[in-house]
Amino acid sequence: MKRRVLLWMILFLLLSAPASAGLNVVATLPWIGSIAREIGGDRVRVRVLVRPTQDAHYVEARPSMILAARRADLLMYNGLDLEAGYLPVLVESSRNPRIQPGMPGDVDCSRFVEVLQGDAATGRADRSMGDIHPLGNPHYHLSPKNIARVARGMADSLSAVDPGNRDLYMANLAAFERKLSQKLKQWSGAGLEGGRFVAYHRFFEYLAAEFGFHIVGYIEEKPGIPPSAAHIQEVMERMKEDGVTKILTTVYQVGREGRYVSERTGAELVVLPHDVGSMKGVDDWFGLIDRILEVLKGGTGGGR
Amino acid sequence: MKVTIIAAAAALFFLTEVYAVENIQSDERRGTAGADRTRAVALESGAQMKAYRVNPKGGGNLFNPAITLVLDFIYMDTNLSDEEYDAREIPGYRTLHDADGHGHGGFEEGFNLRGAELTLSAPVDPYFNLYATLTGTEEETVVEEASFVTTSLPAGLQVKGGKFRSAFGRFNAFHQHAWNFVDAPLPYRAFLGEEGLVEKGVQVTYLPDLPVYTLLGLEVLEGESEVLFGEEAESGAHAFTAFVKASSDFGEAGTLLAGFSVAGGRTKNGSIEHGSEFTGDSTLYGAEVTYKWKRSRRRSLLLQAEYLLRHQSGDYVEDAALPTAARRLERTQDGLYLQALYRTGRWGIGARYEVLDLFRDDFMEAGMKRDFGDRPERITAALEYRPTEFSRMRLQYNHDETARDGVDREVFFQFVFAIGAHGAHPF
Repeated sequence: MKRRVLLWMILFLLLSAPASAGLNVVATLPWIGSIAREIGGDRVRVRVLVRPTQDAHYVEARPSMILAARRADLLMYNGLDLEAGYLPVLVESSRNPRIQPGMPGDVDCSRFVEVLQGDAATGRADRSMGDIHPLGNPHYHLSPKNIARVARGMADSLSAVDPGNRDLYMANLAAFERKLSQKLKQWSGAGLEGGRFVAYHRFFEYLAAEFGFHIVGYIEEKPGIPPSAAHIQEVMERMKEDGVTKILTTVYQVGREGRYVSERTGAELVVLPHDVGSMKGVDDWFGLIDRILEVLKGGTGGGR
Repeated sequence: MKVTIIAAAAALFFLTEVYAVENIQSDERRGTAGADRTRAVALESGAQMKAYRVNPKGGGNLFNPAITLVLDFIYMDTNLSDEEYDAREIPGYRTLHDADGHGHGGFEEGFNLRGAELTLSAPVDPYFNLYATLTGTEEETVVEEASFVTTSLPAGLQVKGGKFRSAFGRFNAFHQHAWNFVDAPLPYRAFLGEEGLVEKGVQVTYLPDLPVYTLLGLEVLEGESEVLFGEEAESGAHAFTAFVKASSDFGEAGTLLAGFSVAGGRTKNGSIEHGSEFTGDSTLYGAEVTYKWKRSRRRSLLLQAEYLLRHQSGDYVEDAALPTAARRLERTQDGLYLQALYRTGRWGIGARYEVLDLFRDDFMEAGMKRDFGDRPERITAALEYRPTEFSRMRLQYNHDETARDGVDREVFFQFVFAIGAHGAHPF
């Protein structure tokens, strides 16, 4: 009996031997996976944990995620507490020393970026204010300026873990930067400057800051909390005052409040992709920004 | 009884209404119009741009441990009188009463402060994380859990040590406030007691790099769990558990987790009948299966079942105060619970069915089988309202036929609140 158990254990150990060359990168969100693929090229196998259609604020740890983290050489995540509900348990349960806090494989992408303070700016933070992010607005992935910094940070992180391929990562980074500067030229003609919108959640602040448009109100009164009738009334008044004709939402946030405001004010409910893969044809990070700007300009609606 | 249900339902309704209406906040932005608006809007956005700055993370306050306080407050009502309720037991299984005389999950009719649970956690150094949970009731504060977990062992190994909730079975590892119903399922109550298997000891787990999630574990425990082992069976560690759990995803939203566990050890306790003493060996086997389906934040379904089988053999003295000879006791008993929980938005509904004596109810005293009557059963329904992740209200009804003398109809109205650090949830 005991011998059989021992044999099983040995079999498990043999099976658990490292599979093949190349780095295992585990990315929490699809956009992180997208940038990691650009910088890592053929040297990395990227596994994304959160489904593109899922709300990144409400993810639960699954054992399959623990298994993926177990094999990871690098764990890349959004940070700013966006993953606080599942990442700590995942990292501890992974039993993987390479991705523990402070190790080279622990890549908090928010380390590389400039954070829009948002909730942090008010100076006061407690949960009576809803599901706020006291470390700053975590949705920096819609900021080309920040993505350039994240790409550089990823190239450095990959090089630190895999110094032999540093040249490759730097070459991939250079290619990414060339593509980005081209795209920036193309995007600069978006003509969104001075535009006024209302949004459901504080999700598009970085985009607004970089493309010069304004979000004058939020249907959501407090993050993560359904709005009160009084607040919705207020938002509708504000929309009338400012001549707002578009309400920005994401796939997972199209709720009856947004539809109600849209019906009452005649403003269009614009469904934007919130991450790579959340809508058909949005296959990488460039495609994500392309699509968002296209929709904001044209007002053709999201198209699922 | 009826009055309580109506009052509880009314209170729940009232609370949801309060949340729906919410406070009206005025905004000082009002009062500008026309061309001034453009300027005002631009100024507002300008302020946003100024807030752009380098990520402030990495300050010195990160050395403070994460602190969470959970309040678990329960109102209970039953059709039984206080005497009937306190004397209630599960015949043939256990009659052990709590120190304060409550034999039945520790509840009292009326308001109950089940606990204020304070959890502290932080990395110790690059090699260990530390967790401590202090649970305060009105009478005392106990160290419910205080354990270290390694983070940097190679090859998928992890060691946990201290006092902790054993990874035996599925339900056991969860803290009271995280349960899907107010009380523990019947098999757990019968075989492990309301607290479950919480022991001092060491746990080693191994997560091999297989295509499918497979966790193997062993625990060496002190063996003090009152109901299963008793406190004085032997000095030195004299209990163990072993478990294996496997999980796979089914589609984008479904996850299945299944496992087998065994716990065993030397036993000396008086939980079988009042004043009795049993000395011998106990083995508890467990089989678990959990299916979770989570389409979105709004909708999820949880199906969970566990089967427990306990075998005990040893010497039994019916009244330890009298100089009677010990008789041979050999008992093999089992139990099962099935539960379902469906959540949509802030609401959830749950149902649970529990039964003992499902396949085995052998209670052999000196070679003679003893009969304790009907198969103990219980049916539970629950309604849950969760305004946010940090607050939860639950209305629960138990139809309890575990004792010979009549049905216990229990109603619970539970409030659970958490403040402090956002705890990460295990699967």
